[in-house]
Amino acid sequence: MNPIDPRLQEALDGERDPGELSADQREAYHRLMNAGALLATTPVGSVADRVMAEVRAHSLQVQHAGHTARAVRWLTRPRAVTFRLKPLWTLGVAAAGLAAILLLPGEPSRLLSPGAAEGVARFVGNFPGARSVEVVGSFNNWSRGSLHLEDENHDGIWHVTTVLPAGQHEYMFVIDGERWVADPLAGRYVDDGFGAGRQNSVLIVRRNTAADATPQ
Amino acid sequence: MVNDGVSDVAVVAQVLGGDGEAFGILIRRYEPGLLRFATRMLGSPDAAADAVAESFVRAYRHLAQCRDPARLRSWLYRITGNRCRSHLSRRGNNDIPLSEAPPLADPADAWAVVERAEQVALVERALASLSAEKREAFVLKHVEGMSYEEMAAVTGARIPTLKMRVHRAREALLAALGALV
Repeated sequence: MNPIDPRLQEALDGERDPGELSADQREAYHRLMNAGALLATTPVGSVADRVMAEVRAHSLQVQHAGHTARAVRWLTRPRAVTFRLKPLWTLGVAAAGLAAILLLPGEPSRLLSPGAAEGVARFVGNFPGARSVEVVGSFNNWSRGSLHLEDENHDGIWHVTTVLPAGQHEYMFVIDGERWVADPLAGRYVDDGFGAGRQNSVLIVRRNTAADATPQ
Repeated sequence: MVNDGVSDVAVVAQVLGGDGEAFGILIRRYEPGLLRFATRMLGSPDAAADAVAESFVRAYRHLAQCRDPARLRSWLYRITGNRCRSHLSRRGNNDIPLSEAPPLADPADAWAVVERAEQVALVERALASLSAEKREAFVLKHVEGMSYEEMAAVTGARIPTLKMRVHRAREALLAALGALV
């Protein structure tokens, strides 16, 4: 295999006028360009029907999951409840309320109530100057808009605590709605499967042991 | 490439908004190029169809992960390239079968078609003798007409590396064509 003259390579890269090449080089130039043109024949046939059948089946699954999730959200949504109390009862109810507040655990994650097959996940990231930070991952079908981090102190430390199914999840942070970054604190990463060497962060959610211990 | 007057960004937003049928626009737009690319990489129309179908389904399921929908074409070629490499590694080597030449589209004149088919078969044999890496470099550059920047987005390799790969692929293809004539 003989190396090709750099001038021929330049012409093939569109950086030199082929008219400047010698007769031999011009012949090689046309041979290679012709090879590319011959290989550009488009094969007949289509995979559209196969793919769209999968797309429709997947859409149905997602719709079904969406209805279930909406029903769960509706059932678990906090609602304001107003009681009208007779004056004599007010003192007793106030004392009971105070006792309940004092007995509640202080950890925000304890306020979440994961099921037996779920666990509490906390996402924290240092993103000074960010206007918004959210998490997308395998647990929300990589869809944006469902899990936002907050920075109440405006110190660049963003965090959110949520309930996720127990097991391994892949995720990324999306900064200001456009910049996807891996979690530098994740400790574990996997290739995102699309080449180019990009990696997703990995999170392992442990089952809620308190729920496990609850008698059935 | 089919251009329905709607940008890739708009179609992607439509699909992510729940209109799965809009994905058909992207299939019509990119299927011919992806099938051509996969056929040249795998040497078999059937294997290429499988690779492209798998790639489209994977792209649909992970569409929200497409970080730059304006460069959807590169993303789809990257997924298809990965599927092709996966098919080749399952096959155990980089060789592609020579007996399964892809059919030609729109034959008009019988004699011209036969002559052209012979030329295509010759170039395919020469291409099949290249390593998968060189084959991919030549096809992306000279068949799909990509810039080195787009090739970098598709393959994940650096531009100087790709230039070297294309140069070596041209040398190998010229040598293979010379040996076959």
